[in-house]
Amino acid sequence: MTATTSRTPIRRIFIANRGEIARRVIRTAHDLGISTVAVHSDADADAPYVAEADRAVLLPGTSSTDTYLDAAKVIAAALASGADAMHPGYGFLSENPAFARAVVEAGLTWIGPTPESIEAMALKVQAKRIAAEAGVPLVPGAELPEGMDEVSLVAACARVGYPLLVKASAGGGGRGMRVVDRPEDLLESLASARREASSAFGDDTVFVERYLAGARHVEVQVFGDRHGGVVHLFERECSIQRRHQKVIEEAPSPGVTDAIRKRLHASAVSLARSIGYVGAGTVEFMVFGEGDAQEHFFLEMNTRLQVEHPVTEMITGIDLVAWQIAVAQGDPLPLRQEQLGVSGHAIEARLYAEDPAHDHAPAIGVIHRFRVPDRAGLRVDSGVVDGSVITPHYDPMLAKVIAHAESRDAAAAVLADGLARMEIHGPVNNRDALVAIVRTPAFLAGDTTTAFLDAHPEVTVPPVDDADLTRHATAAAAAVLDDDRHDRGVPVGWRNVPGPLPSVVLARRGTSDATAVPVGPDAVLRDRSDDGWRVRVTHGGVSADCRVARYGSEVFVDDGLCSSAWTVAPRFPDHAGGSAGHGAVTPVPGTITAVLVEAGQAVAAGDVLVVLEAMKMEHRIHAEADGTVSRVLVSAGQSVDAHALVVEFDEADA
Amino acid sequence: MATVLRTLVDPRSPQYAANRAAFLEALAELDALYGRLTAGGGTGDAERDARTVARHRARGKLLPRERIDLLLDRGSPFLELSPLAGWGTDDAVGAGLVTGIGRVSGVECVISANDPTVKGGSQSPITVSKALRAMEIARANRLPLVSLTESGGADLTKQADVFNPGGASFKNLSRLSAAGIPTITLVFGSSTAGGAYVPGMSDYVVLQKDAARVYLGGPPLVKMAIDEDADDETLGGAEMHARTSGLADYLAVDEPDALRIGRDIVAHLNWRKAGPGPALSPREPVYDPEELLGIASADIRVPFEAREVLARILDASEFDEFKPLYGSTLVTGWGHINGFPVGILANNGILFSEEAHKGAQFIQLCNRMDVPILFCQNITGFMVGTRYEQGGIIKDGAKLINAVSNCGVPMITLMMGASYGAGNYGMAGRAYDPRFIFSWPNHRIAVMGPKQLAGVLTIVARQKTEAAGQEWDEEAFAPIRDAFEQQVESESTALYATGRIWDDGIIDPRDTRTVMTLALSAVHSAPVEGAERFGVFRM
Repeated sequence: MTATTSRTPIRRIFIANRGEIARRVIRTAHDLGISTVAVHSDADADAPYVAEADRAVLLPGTSSTDTYLDAAKVIAAALASGADAMHPGYGFLSENPAFARAVVEAGLTWIGPTPESIEAMALKVQAKRIAAEAGVPLVPGAELPEGMDEVSLVAACARVGYPLLVKASAGGGGRGMRVVDRPEDLLESLASARREASSAFGDDTVFVERYLAGARHVEVQVFGDRHGGVVHLFERECSIQRRHQKVIEEAPSPGVTDAIRKRLHASAVSLARSIGYVGAGTVEFMVFGEGDAQEHFFLEMNTRLQVEHPVTEMITGIDLVAWQIAVAQGDPLPLRQEQLGVSGHAIEARLYAEDPAHDHAPAIGVIHRFRVPDRAGLRVDSGVVDGSVITPHYDPMLAKVIAHAESRDAAAAVLADGLARMEIHGPVNNRDALVAIVRTPAFLAGDTTTAFLDAHPEVTVPPVDDADLTRHATAAAAAVLDDDRHDRGVPVGWRNVPGPLPSVVLARRGTSDATAVPVGPDAVLRDRSDDGWRVRVTHGGVSADCRVARYGSEVFVDDGLCSSAWTVAPRFPDHAGGSAGHGAVTPVPGTITAVLVEAGQAVAAGDVLVVLEAMKMEHRIHAEADGTVSRVLVSAGQSVDAHALVVEFDEADA
Repeated sequence: MATVLRTLVDPRSPQYAANRAAFLEALAELDALYGRLTAGGGTGDAERDARTVARHRARGKLLPRERIDLLLDRGSPFLELSPLAGWGTDDAVGAGLVTGIGRVSGVECVISANDPTVKGGSQSPITVSKALRAMEIARANRLPLVSLTESGGADLTKQADVFNPGGASFKNLSRLSAAGIPTITLVFGSSTAGGAYVPGMSDYVVLQKDAARVYLGGPPLVKMAIDEDADDETLGGAEMHARTSGLADYLAVDEPDALRIGRDIVAHLNWRKAGPGPALSPREPVYDPEELLGIASADIRVPFEAREVLARILDASEFDEFKPLYGSTLVTGWGHINGFPVGILANNGILFSEEAHKGAQFIQLCNRMDVPILFCQNITGFMVGTRYEQGGIIKDGAKLINAVSNCGVPMITLMMGASYGAGNYGMAGRAYDPRFIFSWPNHRIAVMGPKQLAGVLTIVARQKTEAAGQEWDEEAFAPIRDAFEQQVESESTALYATGRIWDDGIIDPRDTRTVMTLALSAVHSAPVEGAERFGVFRM
């Protein structure tokens, strides 16, 4: 400790965040003997992080704007709770310099970089200027200041070259981001990016840069202290992304040359030093090309702890949250650069409640069971427990699953196996896709670029073995039959006059075709407990012990190697409901932001009818066929449920 | 302490193999009969039946067992009663009616469903008997009755035999209702003339739109009687009854909808079983019930050990034997079947005075402790002869029959072999109102064994001949005696008995535990209470 800075010990941390990161901070804080305070909205009252924190403060409301994003309320809550420090987590207010400043002004210790650093890196355009000054190479791009006329705008973009990427200056997390392949799509994409940026960040400024198709996304973890110390904690690669959001992250990068690796580390440290960076930060780069021709370009700097920080923790053995707290207290960095090293390889997969089959549309609902296999090398940072509810109000990430092993191949194997053996009984999720990704030969060969998912579309909805599906369906049907009967000791569906085998009509989740699944002697009920059923099903001479759990009409089957979800079809048609209308429906719950058609209007297949914002994403509802609008059932600003009818068409035109 | 029964069965013995082979053959014959039964049509002419069933399906209609499957809870068992009623008669096997016990919305019910593919669901005398038996089971065991009705009414070619007994079914519906046992009728088609009283006498009535026809007189009769022109819909359509007459409580869109409504009605009955239910958790027998096929004698003249049967139907093969050293040809004691406590009387030979005493005492004990009784019949009768008559075998047999006649706890009878003479009565035969009787395929029932009966006939004929001073020609009488023996033999088979509803069905011996469990569960729907008084026990 130097004489220039005084040390402010932290005793109680207020965590201005929710979900898994709140739990993550609580874990380290408690390890250090520091008490914690959680903040929560009405929707999060039952979330596990609220229970795990020592104290909690409710901010009434559900929307992020009313709760986690309301800086004044958050600071007031922190003061009321007796906290002396503020950890912002990631997202929400974590990179809001005004908030950081207000926290400091309120007399709290801010666990993060200085407001000045945040500000310097917040606007991407400005960040690039600073990076360039620090000698860090940049991607070709152009700023599009407000009021720029269409001609110069088109010309500026042409100079950057296509394909190009439109990004929100104030943004992050893929919001307001658009890939433009052809000049003729430019203006529409700009308008839509601006609309989303404005709604997400309150600032519609966008810029463009060259879209480096096939590039790798590599980032360097840096750490600075108040004594001028800056180190890097090596790099992470986060190339595999969907909708510009990271899905798989790993450390170290499997695809950079040693020469580039050194330059990446040096560039990151140089940038952090140039702004006197304090705390945890991440400098993101695009790495383009192979071998000696490999180049790196500065993308942006994130002035917070990243979602994917665990992979760095696993390979360095360092608790990054503990370092954040140490640095915020005024302590020097616990280790010097030469004391830092890499051990093994770590891979993280982000588990989302989303539907990979439907463009990763977010899913909501109850997580009836969230069970993780207990095995060496597997770490799960989750925001949910059994019974948690995924609401449409916030990010639908369920957990980060991290595997650490001696080699990359071993880590990939542990990760895939660990994911496959998880029991996730809840809304549709991307687990199967994650397993498929880390098992593809391309992934194992380190051939990971940002275009990975486009190049390997088969991993998005990986096919399931027919024999496995048959076994699962039979096990599900056997469990439902057992569940519905009362006559213990009597075989299910027993008849003295033989008839057809008893059956249950089931539809596999994601498919609409329900089929009657008969249960014969190939299914043997082995065990029934509070956990559900264990049914041994033999098919093609091979048996599997399927674990079945039922929650109303939802049935989940896990057999260790794969999982499936089924819906029990109602036994009787619902005549009271009447026939459903004929028209366009919402894919997810959300808020209508624009209605682009009116009654009587003729539309062509593919025309946008209604724009819906949900989970901070813009969803456009298209006409599926040519037709005439007979009725519009929603208006802008209205909140709608999933599968709500928004526009009806004339039957005659169908 | 209950004892686990021991076994001396040798599955490699020739006797075992022969029994098993004979049982499997008999069971295959049953399966063939069931196959024809469930296919529908009822004429036995496969092509003709298929055409009838196809016509029925073409109208969007389900077969009776399909209706029952939809009515029942998923995975519910269905114990079909009298499935082969009518076998060996000129009526269709099954009698165009399906009756049985199954669970609807968690409630054990008696279900009675017409088979409209068999003579249009019309009622022969055996149909009426079968329906009345199902109603009796509903009454005695307090099981709600659900009727799935689609019937052309009485089989007019047999109207004389149907008219009087048929009337009892409407009386029974009313008496069930009066006894607080719910009656629910779903009508899928014709239910006219007398048949109109099935919905008419029921607590709840569901009529299927555009299908149910319920009227006393159809258009031709109305035209004849009062010269009025009216169509089916106006006279007895579902909509009319739902909106105008009020006969229908619920109007169903289609068959599944009617069954759904039927399930909803049962669900809101707030029905509770009056019996105490199982006393223990179910435990499987130690020995494999599969072995019953080798243990029970296919040839009824060969005796077999009753305890070997009990070892394969009782929980954990545990049997608490009562008076094991006394009256050894009647095995008595207590055990459990899937947790239901049960007292057992099982024949291990002919009945003597000691056995009659022992049985009468045991039945009284079961009545004291409110435990249902299972009679396992394999009996050729009470002992005869001077010594036994002088020893008072009539008085002693009377004690046993007295105990059975006045028994208050439910009795269930399993015909596992012979059932001859007064042994049938002393062991709760049909006439003594056991709640259920089920038979194994080897079962034989008659006044006495065919050989004995033919022998008795021969002796009587000889005495008569000789009394008339004529010479007895043994050889000339032989064909007459053989023909009589044959006749008695064919009239004493399990199929003959079940065709006349002397039992509630023939069962696979391996299913005995399951059938007894369902029967015991059914009897627990009513209070299980022992009798306080018996007739005078002659001393």
